[in-house]
Amino acid sequence: MKAYLDNNATTRMAPEVLDAMMPFLTERFGNPSSFHSFGSGVMEEIEAAREEVAALIGAGPEEIVFTSGGTESDNTALLGGCAINPLKPGLVTSKVEHPAVMVTAKRLRDGGAPVEFAEVRGDGTLDMDSLGALVSGRTGLVSLMMANNETGVIFPIAEAARMAHEAGALLHTDAVQAVGKVSVNVKSMGIDLLSLSAHKFHGPKGIGALYIGDGIDLPPLIIGGHQENGRRGGTYNAPGIIGLGAAARLAREELSGETDLTGEMLRRMEKSILDSCPGSRIAGGKAPRLPNTSTVLFRGVESEAVMTLLDIEGICVSSGSACSTGDESPSHVLTAMGIDPREANTAIRFSISRYTSQREVDHLLEVLPPIIDRLRKISPYAD
Amino acid sequence: MWKYSKILMDHFMNPRNSGQLPNPDAHSEVGSPQCGDAMTLDLRVDDQDRISDIRFMTFGCAGAIAAASALTELARGKTLEDALSITNDQIVEYLGGMPEEKYHCSVMGHEALTGAVADFRSRKERVRRHLEELMKDPPEELHRELTRCRPELVHVHPSRVVLRITGSEAGRLRDVLERELTARVGRKMEVEVSS
Repeated sequence: MKAYLDNNATTRMAPEVLDAMMPFLTERFGNPSSFHSFGSGVMEEIEAAREEVAALIGAGPEEIVFTSGGTESDNTALLGGCAINPLKPGLVTSKVEHPAVMVTAKRLRDGGAPVEFAEVRGDGTLDMDSLGALVSGRTGLVSLMMANNETGVIFPIAEAARMAHEAGALLHTDAVQAVGKVSVNVKSMGIDLLSLSAHKFHGPKGIGALYIGDGIDLPPLIIGGHQENGRRGGTYNAPGIIGLGAAARLAREELSGETDLTGEMLRRMEKSILDSCPGSRIAGGKAPRLPNTSTVLFRGVESEAVMTLLDIEGICVSSGSACSTGDESPSHVLTAMGIDPREANTAIRFSISRYTSQREVDHLLEVLPPIIDRLRKISPYAD
Repeated sequence: MWKYSKILMDHFMNPRNSGQLPNPDAHSEVGSPQCGDAMTLDLRVDDQDRISDIRFMTFGCAGAIAAASALTELARGKTLEDALSITNDQIVEYLGGMPEEKYHCSVMGHEALTGAVADFRSRKERVRRHLEELMKDPPEELHRELTRCRPELVHVHPSRVVLRITGSEAGRLRDVLERELTARVGRKMEVEVSS
């Protein structure tokens, strides 16, 4: 039996999304920028999708720019945000950002910009004192993820936005893991720039959006055509955009529902794991977290060994392991939380979605304890 | 998923010689500080310097566990000298290959073995030193025994010394030596006598 528990990596596309996209992958192939109505008719659908995306995050449609996904949105926000005002070239971000932000921040720093990385606390929450100390008059942009991809810990973006605005800086949030899973409102949270990606909430891959608050003249990253009012060049990815729009509509419907089925499923799963694998703990377990993400530290067992055995059982999960990615060092997120490299390499991330069935979770709960037990038997660190 | 060979997966799923030895003749612990992997190795060594038993514990990925298992299979029954010449390439070959990015997982086994052999040699040296001191400056009871017969050292081992003694008092001398040596070395020592 298969159990897909790696929804923070990517999600299953909703059938409604595929249905919405299909005409634009087949008969309706016209270029939305064309004069003829065969093409320009597609533009109307794109504008409808734009409204859906805007509605999901409480923005106006004219504030939404379609991109190729989260990484492009992050790149555009950081490189552009630090270039708006030459007197404010500084960037303040955190130590636990996704590589799309982290690597861009380091590039900016290497180019001579003042770039600072705020600390997180042991529970994965943002250290607001550290952030406050780093934001200065030279700061042009504060970029903080809304929810962490590894731990699911949610940052207080509204508070960070107030801090940024007091210093005359803009606030960008990489909300790739948050959008579609929790309610987001750019206006009430004071967000100036926001990155989102369709495939994290049952939309297609290769499409995302950057919210650019009204009045912000953000220099574009991709230049060329006049698309998106010159804010992002390149032929419209019509099927992708339509798919993103459909996914946004479904996510909004889901979030407006009263019951949090995903959250309940996750809480039950966590409790079962901790009960059946004693000596394990959840990274950021006490912090405000996404309702779908849980990173468990299984004392004494290396995560890639666990993943290899789970894979044989058809269970898809993920880890911050150094070995599995071919990277030299363990998860920068967990080590920033003060977890030592060895313990960081015991982390397994389980991420569910609204399509996760109880059967999948039950399959995991049946298979996991003997795997942990078996690896602990040959581990020098099991006690 | 890495492309692991069937043999490697078998060693990962059914590791050979895992665990620990009670009172091993040699022990080592190695680890990679960057990726956190770690391994312990215990050896039992006979009087011919041959590895008669070997056990490992590993905190690491499938590749690291399989490499440790393979190393113990390759080393078991070999003399320490021969075991030291086992290369990482031999381990990888024994496992039917390993993804290149995973080669570093096989290194730990070799380090653990080198460490265990060094531990064996230093334990042995320590026993030899204690024995020499004991012979040079024996307590009164032993002194009395030694005046009757002079033992000749045949072999030193971390938990055993073999002496050649001639004379009828061999049994008594052995008992006294065993007690004194155990007290000094700090672990149960056996003294064997041959004539």
